[in-house]
Amino acid sequence: MSKKWTRLSVFAAAFFFVASQAWGQDAKLVAAAKKEGKVVVYGSLESDTVGTIKKAFQKKTGIEMEYWRASATKVMDRAMGEYRAGKPLFDIILTNDNPMQIMLKEGIFAKYNSPSAADFPKDAIDPNLGPRYRNVIVGVVYNKNVIKPADAPKSLEDLISPKYKGKLVMPDPTQHTTTTQWVASLFKLMGKEKADKYIRDLAAMKPILVESLLPAAERVTTGETPIAITYVKYVFIFGQKGAPLDYVRLGKMMGDGHYLGLNNKAPHPNGGKAFIDYFLDDESMNIMAKMGEFVNRKGVYPPLPDADKIQFVEMLDLDKKGFAEKKKEYSKLFLKYSSASP
Amino acid sequence: MNWVFLGVAGIIAFLSLYPSFFLLYGSFTDAPLGVPGHFTLNNYIQAYSDPEAYRLILTSFIFGIGASGLSVILALTLAWITIRTNAPFRKLFELTAIVPNIMPPILISISWVLLLNPNNGLINAILMQWFGLESGLFNIYSIPGLIFVEGLILTPLAFLIIAAAMKSMDPALEESAKTLGSGEFGVATRITFPLMRPAVLAAGTLNFVRAVESFDTPAIIALPARIEVFTTKIWREALGSFPTNHNLAATYGVGILVIALVFVYLYRRFTSQVESFSTVTGKGFRPHQIDLGGWRTLASAVAFILLTLMVILPFMVLLLMSVLPYYHVPTWETWKNLTLDNFRYIADNDRVYRAFGNSLFLAIVGASLCMLLASLTSYITVRTKIAARGLLEGLVFIPWAFPGTALALGLLWAYVDFPIPVYATIWIIMIAYVTRFLPYGLRAVSSTIIQIHRELEEASIVCGAGFLATFRRILIPMMRPGVVAGWIILATIFMREFSASLFLYSPGSEPLGPLLYFLYLDGMRGRVAAIGLVISLISIILIAIAQRLSRWDTK
Repeated sequence: MSKKWTRLSVFAAAFFFVASQAWGQDAKLVAAAKKEGKVVVYGSLESDTVGTIKKAFQKKTGIEMEYWRASATKVMDRAMGEYRAGKPLFDIILTNDNPMQIMLKEGIFAKYNSPSAADFPKDAIDPNLGPRYRNVIVGVVYNKNVIKPADAPKSLEDLISPKYKGKLVMPDPTQHTTTTQWVASLFKLMGKEKADKYIRDLAAMKPILVESLLPAAERVTTGETPIAITYVKYVFIFGQKGAPLDYVRLGKMMGDGHYLGLNNKAPHPNGGKAFIDYFLDDESMNIMAKMGEFVNRKGVYPPLPDADKIQFVEMLDLDKKGFAEKKKEYSKLFLKYSSASP
Repeated sequence: MNWVFLGVAGIIAFLSLYPSFFLLYGSFTDAPLGVPGHFTLNNYIQAYSDPEAYRLILTSFIFGIGASGLSVILALTLAWITIRTNAPFRKLFELTAIVPNIMPPILISISWVLLLNPNNGLINAILMQWFGLESGLFNIYSIPGLIFVEGLILTPLAFLIIAAAMKSMDPALEESAKTLGSGEFGVATRITFPLMRPAVLAAGTLNFVRAVESFDTPAIIALPARIEVFTTKIWREALGSFPTNHNLAATYGVGILVIALVFVYLYRRFTSQVESFSTVTGKGFRPHQIDLGGWRTLASAVAFILLTLMVILPFMVLLLMSVLPYYHVPTWETWKNLTLDNFRYIADNDRVYRAFGNSLFLAIVGASLCMLLASLTSYITVRTKIAARGLLEGLVFIPWAFPGTALALGLLWAYVDFPIPVYATIWIIMIAYVTRFLPYGLRAVSSTIIQIHRELEEASIVCGAGFLATFRRILIPMMRPGVVAGWIILATIFMREFSASLFLYSPGSEPLGPLLYFLYLDGMRGRVAAIGLVISLISIILIAIAQRLSRWDTK
C-alpha cells in the first residue's frame, strides 16, 4: 500500500514538475512574445478556420496575430521572394507538404521542437518540419441540385465522359502546385499508362481552370460548374451555409499533409513559437476538426458524412525543377489558347 | 524659381526614368529579383521566339480595339442624346454616365460573370427558362464577352472627353448645313460627327491603351477562359505560377510599355487638336439643341438601356450578391435566407479593416501629393518661360504611357535593393500611384492655370512674396476648381486601384484592390460585393468632402 502511495506521489510530483516546467516556459515565451507585439502568419488554411483559431489564441495568450491567406503557390512565392530580398515580414508559414519541403530546402525555416508535438502519432512527425497536423484530401465534389446523385460520376474515369463536358472545374495545374501534384500523382491510382491517357482526356474536356481548390468548390456551390476536382471537406464547409454539395465516394483519393514552420529570420520569433505551441495543441486541433479539417488525431474526424471511411494515398512530391517541367508539360495539354471562345 | 523647377524636374525624372531603367534591367538579366545576375538576351529570345507571343499580341490588339471602339460608340451615342437633343431626363443621364467611375472595375467584371456565364448567369438562366433553351445564349468567357465588359468599363472616360468636345462645338457649321437644306440627321452624320473626329480619336486611343494595360477584366474573364493577353501573361510569369520568372515578366512588360508609348504618342497628337478646338469655349456660344420630335422618347430609352448596362445591372447584382449566404441563382427559397453576414465580416475582420485603412491613406495622401506635384509641373510648363520646360513635358510622357503592371514590375526591380526601405511597404504603392496617375492630375489642373490672369501673381511678387508664397497664396486658391476635380478623380481611382497594387503590396500594406481579388479567388463573392458597396459609398463621401472643402472660403 505504502509502496503504491510512494510511487503515486513520485509520479504526481514528477507530473507537476513537468507541467510547471511546461507552463513556466509557456508563460515566459508568451511574455516575450507580447513584448514583440504580434505574430505574422502566411498560409493557405482557410481564413474562417484561422479566424476562429486566432480568436481563441488571442484570448488565451493576449498576443496579436495577423494572417494573410493565399493559395499554397502564392504563399510560397511570397515567402521566398521576401526572404531572398532579405526582408521577410512573416514569422510562420502554414501550408502543404510539398511547398514546405521546397522552402525548407531554400533554408528559410528554423527548427523548433514544440512541446505540443508530443500529442501527434510518431509517424506523423517530420524530422525537420515537425508534426503533419492535418491532411487535405482531394476528391470529386458535385452540386446535388444540378446533378442528381444517380447521374453523378462514380469514379475518376467517369469524369471524362462527354456528358460532363462544360460542367467540370478544377484548379489550373500549370499554376496551382497542389493540383500539379495531383495530376502528376494520378499514376498512383491507375498506373502510368492509363494515367497518361487519362490526363490527356481530362485536358480535352476543357475544364474551367481556376486559381485554387477553394474557388473550384465555390463554383460548384453556385452551380456555375456543377462538378469540381477539389477538397472533399468543402462539402461540409459550404454545406453549413446551405449549399447542396456531396462528394463522390471514390475507392481511393489523393491526400497531402500540412505543416507549419518558423521563419529563421522571423521578426517576432517568440510570437512564432508561442503560436506553434498553441496551434498544435488540443484546443486548436479540435476547433479545426469541427470546422471540417482532417486533423492528425486518433479517432477525431470532421463532421462530413463517411469521413471515417475515406482512404487516401499520398501525392508525389516535386522539387522546383519538377514543377517547372510539369508546368511546361501541362501547359501544352491544358492551356491550348484560343483566340475565340473556349 | 530655378530650384523649384530643378526639384520638380528631378522628382518626375526619378519617378519615371528609374523604374523604366529597372524594367529594362530586369528583362536583360538572368537572376531572380533581389539577386545580382549577368547580362543576357535569353529572356527576349524566349519571349518573342515563342509563336504564342504573337498570338497574345494579336489577341491584345483585338481586345484593345474592340473595347475602345465599343466604349467610343456608346459614349458618342450617350453624349449626343444628353447634350445635343431635347430627350427627356437627359440631365439625369449625363450625371449617371460618370457614376461607374466610383465602382471598382473588378466588381463590374464580376457582376457580368454572374449575369452572363454560360451555365447559370442570371440573364442566361432567365432566357433559358423563357425560351426553353438547352444552354445559355451568351458566354462571357470569350473574346466578345471580354470586349463587352471592358467596353462598358471604359465608356465613362470616353464620355467625359467626347461630351466636353461636343459642348464646345461651334454651331455655325451646323447652321450653315441646315440653311443649305440638310435635315437634322444629315447634319448629325455629315457635320457633327466629322467635327467630333479628334475627340473620338483621342478617346479611342486612350481607351485602347487602358484596355491593353488593364488587368481587372482579364483577371476575371480571360484567365478562366484561357484567353491570353499581355497582362495575363505577365501575371502568370511574375506571380501566378510556380516557379515564377520575373525576368520573363519584365520582358513582356517592356513589350506592353512600347505599345503603350506608341499609342499615347498618337493620343497626344489627337488631343493637341482637341485642345485647340476647345479654346473656342471662351466665346460663350451654346450649341443648338436638336428637336427630336416623336423620337425623343426613343432617344431616352436608348440612353436608359445603356445606363442599365453600365450602372443599374452591375449594381443590382452586387447588392443581391452581398445579401446571399452563398451565391446562387435566386429562387423563392432565397428570400428567406438573406443575410447581413457579409457586411458583418467587414466590421469583424482585421485584414479587411487594414485594407480599408491602407486604401484611404493611399487615396487621401496619394491624391494630395499627386496634385501638388501636378500643380507645380503644370505651372512650370504652362506659365514659365524656362527653356528646359519642354524636357519636363517629355518626362511626363512616360507616366502617361506606363501600364500599371509594367510600372509595378519596374518598381519591384528598382526598390528591392534601394537604400531607403520602400520595398514591401505601402510607400512603394504610393510611388506607383503618383507616377502612374500624375498625368490625370496634370490634365485637370492645366486647364485652370491657363485661365488665371498673370496680374495677380505679379501683384503678389511686387508686395514682396517669394515664389512659394505666391504659389501657395495666389495660385493654389485660384487653381482650386481644377485641383479639386483632379483630386477627386485620383482619390476615387486610388481607393480601388488594382493592376499595379497587386504586384507591389505586401500582406501588411494590402490595399482594397488586391484584397477584393483574393477574396474573389477564394470564392467569397458575397464579401467581395459587400466591400465593393462600401468602397463606392466611401468614394461618394470623399467626393462630397472634397467639394465642400473647395468652396470653404468662397462662402
